[in-house]
Amino acid sequence: MDATTVLAEISGSIATVGYGLAAIGPAIGVGIVVGKTIEGVARQPELAGRLQVLMWIGIAFTEALAFVGIATGFIFGF
Amino acid sequence: MSAAPRDPADRTPTSNPVLRRALLWSGVLAAVIAVVGGVVGFVVAGTEGLVSALLGTLIAVGFMGITAASILIANRFAGSDLFVGAFFGIVLGGWLLKFILFIVLVVLLRGAPWLDPMVLFIAIVAGVLGSLVVDVLVVAKSRLPYASDTKLPPAPSDD
Repeated sequence: MDATTVLAEISGSIATVGYGLAAIGPAIGVGIVVGKTIEGVARQPELAGRLQVLMWIGIAFTEALAFVGIATGFIFGF
Repeated sequence: MSAAPRDPADRTPTSNPVLRRALLWSGVLAAVIAVVGGVVGFVVAGTEGLVSALLGTLIAVGFMGITAASILIANRFAGSDLFVGAFFGIVLGGWLLKFILFIVLVVLLRGAPWLDPMVLFIAIVAGVLGSLVVDVLVVAKSRLPYASDTKLPPAPSDD
């Protein structure tokens, strides 16, 4: 067996890597959304209500991908 | 949104009515998807399909609604010194808890003999996408005052 094959060998299900990726992407996205909301509210506290709604829409779109990504666990293997 | 005069001492953020309306319409959407998905699931995969469609809709719309519900709960702390910390703690804590619950559900429900995995997956995707559409429609149709939570100084008088 040559070196490339040894290095590239994976045992177990590659699908689990996908579930990790499905969690990490939205985590970064929600971190950015919430962080920017904190910045906005710190600058203009009177806009808190408006910014909360925008933050909520941002979180909803970001987490939708995570849900679909992790829900593939129902149809693909571990 | 009604233009009812607000009590000046009321520090509740004005996002509450929008979020409440979004939760309400998400519930309506869940009922519609559950009925349509249940019928399609029953035709495609019998009783297992029916159960899967109902469960998938419940999971998707329920978990998507947790964000709005957590913001509503966190807004009860409005006006307190701990508001910012409590707000982001509750919203992000709820988010984390939701995903842990969802992963646990996937692990538990996978391979269950009384479920049809494909119907369940499609019901979850339909619920997530439909809930996004409802959220965007509710926000687009809502009117939030531009400077909502501000306190104006008393008007000068000429006396």
